Amino acid sequence: MTASATPASRRRTRSTAWYPYVLIGPAAALVVIFLVYPVASVFYYSLQRYNVTMPFYNGFVGLGNFIEIAQDAKFWRSLGFTLQWVVVEVGLQFVFGLILALLINRAFRGRGIVRALVFSPWAVAGILTTTIWLLIYNPTTGFGHYLADLGLVPYGTSLLSGSGTAFWAAVLAELWKGAPFFAILILADLQSISLELYESADVDGAGRLRKFVSITWPHIRSAVVIATLLRAVWEFNNVDLLYTLTGGGPAGSTTTLPLYVAQTAITDRDFGYGSALTIVAFVILIVFTVVYLRANRFGRENA
Amino acid sequence: MMRETPHPRTRTRRRAARLAVIPAIGLTALLVAGCATGPSDDGVVTLELWDTDTRPERTANLEKLIDMFEKENPGIKVDYLGLPTDSYMQKIGTAVATGSTPDLVTPKASDISALVAQGALAPLDDRFSAGGWQDQIDASLVQTTRDAAPDGKLYITPATALADVMFYRADWLRDAGLPEPTSWDDFDSEVAALTDASTGRFGYTIRGGNGFWPQFMEMVFTRAGIATLFDENGKSTLDDPRVVEAAQKYVDLYKTTTAESDLTADFKVMQAQFAAGSAGFLSHSIGSYPTLLQSMTPDQIGVTVPFPAEDGTQVLGLLTTGFAMFQSSKHPEEAWKFLEFTMSQEGDSFWAQASGYIPGNIAVADEQWVQDSPALAAAIAAGANEKAVPMNVPYYLPEYSSITGTDMLPDWQLVLQGELSVQDFLTKYATAMNEAQQRYEDATK
Repeated sequence: MTASATPASRRRTRSTAWYPYVLIGPAAALVVIFLVYPVASVFYYSLQRYNVTMPFYNGFVGLGNFIEIAQDAKFWRSLGFTLQWVVVEVGLQFVFGLILALLINRAFRGRGIVRALVFSPWAVAGILTTTIWLLIYNPTTGFGHYLADLGLVPYGTSLLSGSGTAFWAAVLAELWKGAPFFAILILADLQSISLELYESADVDGAGRLRKFVSITWPHIRSAVVIATLLRAVWEFNNVDLLYTLTGGGPAGSTTTLPLYVAQTAITDRDFGYGSALTIVAFVILIVFTVVYLRANRFGRENA
Repeated sequence: MMRETPHPRTRTRRRAARLAVIPAIGLTALLVAGCATGPSDDGVVTLELWDTDTRPERTANLEKLIDMFEKENPGIKVDYLGLPTDSYMQKIGTAVATGSTPDLVTPKASDISALVAQGALAPLDDRFSAGGWQDQIDASLVQTTRDAAPDGKLYITPATALADVMFYRADWLRDAGLPEPTSWDDFDSEVAALTDASTGRFGYTIRGGNGFWPQFMEMVFTRAGIATLFDENGKSTLDDPRVVEAAQKYVDLYKTTTAESDLTADFKVMQAQFAAGSAGFLSHSIGSYPTLLQSMTPDQIGVTVPFPAEDGTQVLGLLTTGFAMFQSSKHPEEAWKFLEFTMSQEGDSFWAQASGYIPGNIAVADEQWVQDSPALAAAIAAGANEKAVPMNVPYYLPEYSSITGTDMLPDWQLVLQGELSVQDFLTKYATAMNEAQQRYEDATK
């Protein structure tokens, strides 16, 4: 029956070809509904003027929103501040996270508890973090009041109410929360370093710095690269801390781009302009991610 | 030929069909769960009420009001949900956009314009006149509420109102041997006299943060004697020389008689400072009086309306707050019954007294508790002054809340810090207001 064997097998392949599509159907449907559709609608609204409280003014404007963004001083200021925020935050979080990881990598009594404590700020919800720090910075109930009682600062002042100091107050709060993330990721890689490497380096007479550069750093490099990328994107998109701690800061001095989007779209209900701002942020992040990963030769084996 | 076992093709197809059933059931279950409806079984209608100013004592009062209503209307139940005070408009906006609005809400007159633009609220005029309410409610409150809407219709119950007042520490003034203030000169000198920065006591607490604009109007336009934001030619009064002069005096209070941290103070912070004994004067509305009484005694608190201007004009700040029903409510008759209850003598008397509001029901205004409350007495006495003019605020303008809320705030903080002059600030926003007014007129011609 050789004549009919080939058609039968071909038919069998055709009739079961739809089988895998049915299986991935529900997942694909969820992705389309919760990812593709919202993103597509943001692109759609970025080409419109759309303010729900001024319906008489809505309509298609093409690239008008983007032209307005290019001339918007508030946008450029928020972009500049966002870059400053990301660089300072990620840099400090990396440094403190690394220090923490190196410290708790050694074996000592109670290390398990200390590790849990080190990681706990990361586990605290964003709003609780800001509530804690708002109380700390509060001029009546926080550190400011006690320092004023000691005569170190005048009464009724707060770090949050100075244009320059509000930035560092927010940096400190976010650093407290973000450093453990680096610490844990780096620690995981540190644990995989064999002690024999350090011992043989001691035998060869290597100093501390040399040991760090040649043994420790190559092991943790890929964890650091991915952690830095993730934290950079997350800090860029960070809204909850700044929204609740400073609300964009005294005189707009701590307004990041996502916060500006939140004020425009959600508070002022200007969804058209807010969508255009979001598209700009999206493009910036995509370009940054690609360039960053390329530059670190991520994914390829260590050269 | 009879097959003992099915052909492999059929077996595969059957297996695939059986496996495909599982995700199909899953998706159907998701869809069904998403379309959950609330049937009104056994004849009880359930209304949903959203409160826009959730605070513990207000929630307790509102639930008591609901209990009173449910006792008289056994076939209607009202479910209460509290929205946070500083973000309720966002939640309502989202609900309107997704068609998931409740039946009832508690807006202020300043919220009407945005909600009406989204087609959210149901106009109440027909029901109001059909129920004969225009004879029972103070006509000026009804008119103020109508003026706040872009089309002049009635969208919220005009039965309660807030008035701008100043609270002060009467006990501090007595200890310092100072008289109760009756003029702006008294205010200026007493605020300076009460300030003692070395002990953390300040004469005033200024609203530098969120929501600064109502207090700005309260303290500046009253001192300037100007009761409108647009003059008779339709031009903004923000850069009127009298307003600029009064604004400069207001800005000068910062850091000289207030804490430096007031730069970012919102109403909660201001109220807390006054109640905790860090500030001698507080500008806010009569609605704060019940809250202040929780941590202070009546003899500690003095109340006065902002003083008249030099030419004797007494500008009054009035803001009606009330209840409204949504256009998309499935139970409009029952929702209206609740609104009627809040305007009735029984409901209005309880709600206005518990919240510290001015009652709109004429019969309630004669009740004893109204005369006994110092805050209400001050507000009502000021209203009786023949040179009293209510402040006319352009709530109908769609951009009003985004200009005075989001746009002005960072520049206001620059002004307080001394990096932007009062004149430049007011000129910039007079222009913005004029442009917004022009855009509105062009669009609604």
